[in-house]
Amino acid sequence: MLLQEKYPEEIKGILARFPHKKSAVLPLMHLAQEAYGFTSREAMQEVAQILDLDPTHVLSLAGFYTLYYEEPVGKFVLEVCNDLACALRGADEFVQMASRKLDIPVDGTTNDGLFTLKTVMCLAACDRAPMLQCNLKFEEHLDEAKFDALISRLRAEAAAEKAEPSIVEQISAFAK
Amino acid sequence: MSDQVNLTIDGVELSVPNGTLVVDAAKMIENPIPVFCYHPKMAPVGMCRMCLVEIGLPVRDRNSGEPVLNDDGTPQVSFRGLQTACTVQVSEGMVVRTTTEVVTKAREDVIEFLLTSHPLDCPICDKGGECPLQNLTMEHGKGTSRMDYSLKMKLDKHVPLGELIYLDRERCIQCGRCVRFQEEIVDDPVIRFHNRGRSLEIVTMSDPGFDSYWSGNTTDICPVGALTTADFRFGARPWELTPVATLSPHCPSGANMTFSTRREAKSGGRSVIKRIMPRQNEPVNEIWISDRDRFVHHFADAPDRLKKPLMRKNGQLVEVEWGEALDAVAGKLQQSGTAVAGLSGDRVSNEDMFLFQKLFRQGLKSHNIDLANRRLAGGDVVAKVGISQGSNLLNLGQGDAIVVIASDLHEEVPVWWLRVKQAAQRGAELVILNLRPTRLDECSRNVIHYQPGQAIATLRQLVNDAKVAAADADNSPIKAAADVIMQANNVVAFYGAEGLTYAETDAVARLLANLLLIKNEEAYAGRPNNGLIPVWPHNNTQGAWDMGIHPALEPGYKPAAKPGMRANEVYAAAQTGALKALFLLAADPIGDGLMAGRGQLDFLVVQELFLTETAAQADVVLPAQSWAEREGTFTSGERRVQRYYPAIQPVGEARPDWQILAQIGERVGLEKPAFAASLVFRDLAKAVPQYKGMDYRALARVEKQWPDVGGDDLYYGGNAYENRVGLGMQWPAAAESGAVDHFEVADVDSELPGKVVVVRTAALFTPGTLINHTELLQARMAQPTLIIQAADAAKLQLAQGEKVMVEVAGRGVETAVRLSEDTPEGVALLRGVPYQAGLTELKVMG
Ligand code: SF4
Ligand code: FES
Ligand code: FES
Repeated sequence: MLLQEKYPEEIKGILARFPHKKSAVLPLMHLAQEAYGFTSREAMQEVAQILDLDPTHVLSLAGFYTLYYEEPVGKFVLEVCNDLACALRGADEFVQMASRKLDIPVDGTTNDGLFTLKTVMCLAACDRAPMLQCNLKFEEHLDEAKFDALISRLRAEAAAEKAEPSIVEQISAFAK
Repeated sequence: MSDQVNLTIDGVELSVPNGTLVVDAAKMIENPIPVFCYHPKMAPVGMCRMCLVEIGLPVRDRNSGEPVLNDDGTPQVSFRGLQTACTVQVSEGMVVRTTTEVVTKAREDVIEFLLTSHPLDCPICDKGGECPLQNLTMEHGKGTSRMDYSLKMKLDKHVPLGELIYLDRERCIQCGRCVRFQEEIVDDPVIRFHNRGRSLEIVTMSDPGFDSYWSGNTTDICPVGALTTADFRFGARPWELTPVATLSPHCPSGANMTFSTRREAKSGGRSVIKRIMPRQNEPVNEIWISDRDRFVHHFADAPDRLKKPLMRKNGQLVEVEWGEALDAVAGKLQQSGTAVAGLSGDRVSNEDMFLFQKLFRQGLKSHNIDLANRRLAGGDVVAKVGISQGSNLLNLGQGDAIVVIASDLHEEVPVWWLRVKQAAQRGAELVILNLRPTRLDECSRNVIHYQPGQAIATLRQLVNDAKVAAADADNSPIKAAADVIMQANNVVAFYGAEGLTYAETDAVARLLANLLLIKNEEAYAGRPNNGLIPVWPHNNTQGAWDMGIHPALEPGYKPAAKPGMRANEVYAAAQTGALKALFLLAADPIGDGLMAGRGQLDFLVVQELFLTETAAQADVVLPAQSWAEREGTFTSGERRVQRYYPAIQPVGEARPDWQILAQIGERVGLEKPAFAASLVFRDLAKAVPQYKGMDYRALARVEKQWPDVGGDDLYYGGNAYENRVGLGMQWPAAAESGAVDHFEVADVDSELPGKVVVVRTAALFTPGTLINHTELLQARMAQPTLIIQAADAAKLQLAQGEKVMVEVAGRGVETAVRLSEDTPEGVALLRGVPYQAGLTELKVMG
């Protein structure tokens, strides 16, 4: 019941936007992901319960969309595009570098729970490669130095308990 | 626009109904277009691309709209490349080509693509031999692949989707049949796709996994070996299996099934039942069976089956030879004069029941013959206004109405639940009268939940309202429901016994009959797709009525000159000593809490499969063959008489019930026994006028059914669907051939026995003599549960999850309390316990 405890107002706002309850499933799953840290079984049960859906339906959506994480992830999810265009501009080497610097494999999470590194398909920023998205925010024209800077900044933010604008804010804006 | 459309497929001209899909049109002329995702019982999705064909349409002049002709006068046809035959509907003048080079190439490519990551493990695959993927690859594949074997994805091959069904991820070709079946057909969307592309997987989140009474059907329609049942997987190869037609041994729907048997060395060369699959009978169960029917067969081969006759000697039951046992039974019955009685269970065949009553009526001159556990009345009413011959619930839809009263069809007869639900989806109006919510409520706009004790009053009101013209009554929900019924083209009415006494069910049957007769000359009763269907507790309760297993009705519903004792009188007389000898055929009244013990009986004989509680107290126990070992007929609740066939050799020295009864009959002076079930049936068809014209041959007649799921192409999966041995015959209700009078309805007002009344509710997996032998289903068995609303629970000081002893049929049963606001006030629903009738007082014991 974490979701309902944490975001009662947001849920109401989201539900009000749709003529059919079940249409609210994707935004609610984002919220649930925020509340639980990932789309855990529990999280999906709760979403299903709020929307009168079969939980298997929710699980199926979590599997279909890549932005729902079914395993726990770090506070910052770094998703580097290594699709063809980015690869031609050195994305693969960039991923290797990032992996070495964070000392985690692709799909791994740092021990401090701060970073998860992933590779993804085209994010529609091929002309600004190498690039990644960090919790949905694009970081472009990257190289090693810029990556180091990004990591330091994020660590500092985490220490100051100030995170990137989270999905919750985006959803709340949408729910208004 | 005409209803028929003319088209040409590979040069063959044909005319098919408007709206037909190209793939079905081709199948009608036995030109099977290969498919994987398409299934004729489900909406097409066009997902697999296996059915690509070339489709051409006649060219029309833009201005005149006239067809453009070639020089030779034939219409010009324009082809627009490949289209999926499963999603395109026929249209006038369409030309379909399935044998061209492009089509052949497309098929090769699709097969090659589907096999890119298929494990090709056919040699160890349960489906191999009856696998659409294998068959279509042999027929349409190229035989080679450009795919490097080492690039195949390795995925988990033993994923339990619950304990009944396993998924092999590598074999799945993502056709979606299983997911669509669960959602579209049975409305249990508990399995779905997860992830995409090569990583796609079928998942479930229900608890227990794959929580549906229908899960086994997905293994039939899966076109590969991706879904298998825990019961059959790695059990046998399809080509070793012999299909033997049978019927559900539980279900009054008369579901048609097929055993697959194999002779096995480890069983001493005996045939063993390896699995049960549905057998197509469109008016009965189409091609679906519930998991209870699919997995129930284990009782037939159970090690504790009775194998030899037993006789009590010096207080002990000891094995004896048949002759000795039969002589003893015949002698003792005769010595007891007319102080004898015979009570039968309602699962044995018509042949058995006919000879049972004959033994008593003619051999022993006693009418003390009855069902051991009579729950639902109205067989005599059904004989007059039962659903008519030629009816098919599949025909009901828009403009029709279906009434269901005092029954939870989903738990009692899932096949009927499915067919009623689907009729509602086609537009039929459902009128549901129950004292609590049931699953069908969601398909109905006319749900009436009556107060406990008000079933008859509510139905009476409905019938009275139905007699009044629509305008001049108030618009209560009952009146609205009555109007729905009276405005319908066709009306089918189901009635059950939930919360009702036997006498009350009789009133319900009569009231419903009067409803079906209201329009007098134009009454619903007597017309196809109309009439009454009793939700009988067992597969052959209907047959019991027909065969005269009734103290007041002889075979064919002929009133007995001098009615005998009813079952409850028999049980009482056994205690007082008024009855000397009792013969129980496939019944366990002591185990069911109906009879306190053998009381003052001189002689108790039990004919059974197992040493039941009652059998353990008997003087003679006669081992009977199960339905898998012998042939016979059952009559369904729709009065369809159907045959079943012997699949395995008899267990031990067990004999068919009818044979044992005939051999006893001979010893008490009846004629020499017939030597075949078919001959007994011939005799009973003479005694039961309703069965006129029926014999084993006629019952075995088949005709081509649509959709065509059989044939060599096997693309709908499984080799057991095809019905080669009989669709059965329905017997006509009296209303079909002449006027039937309205019925008198007795007043059976019931007093509420307490502040909170107990209603025993049905559950598909309720423990019982037969189903308890299926290990696999034990985890799904309904546990004894008392379901009550919070307010009532608080008054009784019961808490969620608490274990309490309550009285069921005279015995204490430990039940778990479950709070549910769906339960009406003043009612406690009792699930997962043996049957008990009517409303009883909630007695929480110590
Ligand atoms: S498991 Fe079978 S029926 Fe289900 S999608 Fe896969 S291949 Fe089709
Ligand atoms: S696309 Fe037609 S059968 Fe699959
Ligand atoms: S033989 Fe195994 S998938 Fe067809």
